[in-house]
Amino acid sequence: MRPEKLRPDSPASPDQELVLSSLELDQLAGVRKQPIPRRHLRRYEKFLLWSLRIYVLFMVTVVIYQVLAGSR
Amino acid sequence: MSADPASKPTTGVVITHEDIDRAHDRERVFAARARRGLFSRFRLLWLLVGPGILVMLGENDGPSMLSYAATGARYGIGFFIPFVVLTFFMALVVQEMTVRLGSATHRGHAELIFDRFGPFWGWFSMIDLGIGNFLTLITEFIAIRAGLGFFGVPPWAAVLSALSVLYLALVTHRYWTWERITLAAAIFNLVFVPVALLARPDWGSVGHALMAWAPLPGGLTKDTVLILLADIGATVTPWMLFFQQSATVDKGLTRGDVRFGRIDTALGAVLAATAAVATILATAPLFAHHMTAENFQAAEFAQTLQPLIGRFGASLFALGIVEAGMVACITISTSSAYAFGEVAHRPHSLNLPLKEGKPFYFVLFLCAAAAGAIVLIPGLPLVYVVLVVNVIAVLAMPPALVFLFMLANDREIMGDLVSPRWINVLATSVVIFLTLAGILFGISVIAPNLFSFIGGK
Repeated sequence: MRPEKLRPDSPASPDQELVLSSLELDQLAGVRKQPIPRRHLRRYEKFLLWSLRIYVLFMVTVVIYQVLAGSR
Repeated sequence: MSADPASKPTTGVVITHEDIDRAHDRERVFAARARRGLFSRFRLLWLLVGPGILVMLGENDGPSMLSYAATGARYGIGFFIPFVVLTFFMALVVQEMTVRLGSATHRGHAELIFDRFGPFWGWFSMIDLGIGNFLTLITEFIAIRAGLGFFGVPPWAAVLSALSVLYLALVTHRYWTWERITLAAAIFNLVFVPVALLARPDWGSVGHALMAWAPLPGGLTKDTVLILLADIGATVTPWMLFFQQSATVDKGLTRGDVRFGRIDTALGAVLAATAAVATILATAPLFAHHMTAENFQAAEFAQTLQPLIGRFGASLFALGIVEAGMVACITISTSSAYAFGEVAHRPHSLNLPLKEGKPFYFVLFLCAAAAGAIVLIPGLPLVYVVLVVNVIAVLAMPPALVFLFMLANDREIMGDLVSPRWINVLATSVVIFLTLAGILFGISVIAPNLFSFIGGK
């Protein structure tokens, strides 16, 4: 079904009425396209995220090393 | 609880096919909620369960079941049965947060990370998810290929039939139908229970194992650490977070449904833990009979078990592995497509007709088809790949959990559904546990001699 716009001067179709009575506003696909505002990261939060990123990169290197060592 | 129509704007709102399908689903929920009586409660539960059971049984995937099978065959039940139950408890703690996030924000996990933390951290998460999902999908096809191989199905036919099932599940273009078809397939994961019964486990020993929690057989070694991580990775992985939150949104759950979302997740954890423990019990006789299980694939496990559990039991085992791979193939490729749609701001719902959701369905099917094609390359070390993929899943988990933790504690988006303190304590313990497990793995590879200092070998 093609998307359609609700207009106050046109009577709502049964589908439109159903959607408006059953879904919360922010459940509508059109509304969900609007981004949620960015959050400010504190210094300790950035530190934690960077530490874990370095951890992942290091451990993935370890896995690759193990795979290469295992294949020899 | 029906949404208040008065609070809805009547101008400029675009109503899509996706909204209409979701509204029909919600109407059934409101109707069931309005009625009283036990039957209506069960009907409401039936309408609201889905994402939780799917994510838990979906994670009982090909590599997971092979990890459990390898665990039972190599180490028996003493240490690992309680350990596996513990990992499912961890999964429950983690997944419950995604139910609250999805119900409170109506946004997928990838979308929330991008919006709240910005594209820099968002892309890191997406790279982790994309690589992890693709590698895991490869292992699902390995499982399907190996399981069907037991019945003499050639690899190309196995891959083709898996892709056909995936296509059939999608062709309805309706979340509800997709969910019910996938749930029906996922329940088949419990086929490992009759397999375990055919292995005639000593229930006294099983009860003792659960109560006493024996020490790790052979102590800490490179092999035991690998299997420990593989079993953790068989239960908690990043794709589960992305999938359950997106599925919760696609299903249309709201704040009023969180209690049922929790029941759904707990039910999934119980079912999945039952199947996992059953798999360990099914292969434990190999350990008891000192039969080697170094490089078993699904078909070889089934063949080796055949003298102990019969042809019927072995066939069920092989079918169980096929099912595990198949369901995970559906859920993991869906998780990738959801994340793609959320990040690319393209329509992303299983309620989308093909015409409106071309990119979504294309990504979904492309991921699966590419993974299936790779499996047809001859000479892949299948069991090794399977174990390594689970290990990678564990390593990628701590950063994913920290994002989840921060989002679930973000009062601006969560409101009164923000995580209570006891959940935060449990979630922090899970992050610390997984990080330490990863470090242990690093030590086992880089400096295995260090194990002797901490009581290992």
